[in-house]
Amino acid sequence: MTKLLWDQVSERRFETGVDQGVLYIPTNGVYSIGYAWNGLTAVTESPGGAEASPLYADNQVYLNLVSSETFGGTIEAYTYPDAFAQCDGTATPSTGVSIGQQARKTFGLAYRTKVGNDVSGQDLGYKIHLVWGALAAPSEKAYATVNDSPEAITFSWAITTTPVAVTGYKPTATLTVDSTKVTPANLQVLEDALYGSAGTDPRLPLPDEVIAMFAGALTSATPVSPTFVSATGVITIPATTGVDYRRGDTNAIVTGTTTVAGTTGAKLIIYATPKAGYYFPAMTDDDWSFVRTA
Amino acid sequence: MGSRTALQTVLEGILGSGNVYFQPPASVSMNYPAIVYNRDYSAVKFAANKPYSLTKRYAVTVIDKNPDSSIPDKVAALPMCLFSRHFTADNLNHDVYNLYF
Repeated sequence: MTKLLWDQVSERRFETGVDQGVLYIPTNGVYSIGYAWNGLTAVTESPGGAEASPLYADNQVYLNLVSSETFGGTIEAYTYPDAFAQCDGTATPSTGVSIGQQARKTFGLAYRTKVGNDVSGQDLGYKIHLVWGALAAPSEKAYATVNDSPEAITFSWAITTTPVAVTGYKPTATLTVDSTKVTPANLQVLEDALYGSAGTDPRLPLPDEVIAMFAGALTSATPVSPTFVSATGVITIPATTGVDYRRGDTNAIVTGTTTVAGTTGAKLIIYATPKAGYYFPAMTDDDWSFVRTA
Repeated sequence: MGSRTALQTVLEGILGSGNVYFQPPASVSMNYPAIVYNRDYSAVKFAANKPYSLTKRYAVTVIDKNPDSSIPDKVAALPMCLFSRHFTADNLNHDVYNLYF
């Protein structure tokens, strides 16, 4: 038996701050492209649901049923990536021209919060928060006169989420990784995926892939470039262990051969993603553009 | 937000002369009417755990023998400018403004 002790040195932990926001736009459920979100000032997580509904029998509480839990929140920032406009109900018919009240696209989000303690201050570590299936509600933008002190509009978006599947668990829209508790090498693999690296675009892995990244040691896989016959538009996908090849237009996994539809000038991007349990080392080229010449 | 030299140009335009002094030492002999200004504050907005935007504030003092001078009004019409106080010293009228630039 051990006596409990409180507030020991290095155990006075706290969390603070928010930074490194990244917006991910999905195509067919795959979050294959990310955009840096500058000017992020606050992310407020507001889970909902999980409401208890007591049922009575025999003059007492017989059963307590709980509704399913939801995840929502609020994003506040001084600005937003151009790509977020489509998530905010804005379409861009031509460069610089925007029209509102359009369909709102779902998006993914990553942001980082600091973890500190009494010894390391704010630099003990950090948590990476991942959100999938977010949908922004229309929000107020209060433009006001310049006055005697400098002010900037703080944009605010209330978000709701649609959970995505997780093997062995209930569907979820959020996942958090604590840098103080995971293996640095595995964390680096996640950060390379989230923030991109030389040769690889930033992307938001789905929960199963993130969980696999921290399940144990990962195996390195290096994607091999597909081959292409520009005259016929036929792309031959190599069979590479630990690598999925996907079409850039649909994000669908492709194997064998696939064809660039159209005639001269038609283009298709093929990109690679690591399968569960694998990772791409830094400086890996993971996307290729193919253009028909006939 | 502009540079300090841009503010100098703006103030010289208002005054109509070059008697605009930025943080002058006590030994400087001034000609009036004059504008004296100095840095006194920076307004900072934070985002992503860092300063995101920074706007400098200057204390701008219009010094003129003429109590009905139009120069203070022209300074007061600048964006993000707020009148602070008025006083007289050595038979000179001083109008002090806080100006973000």
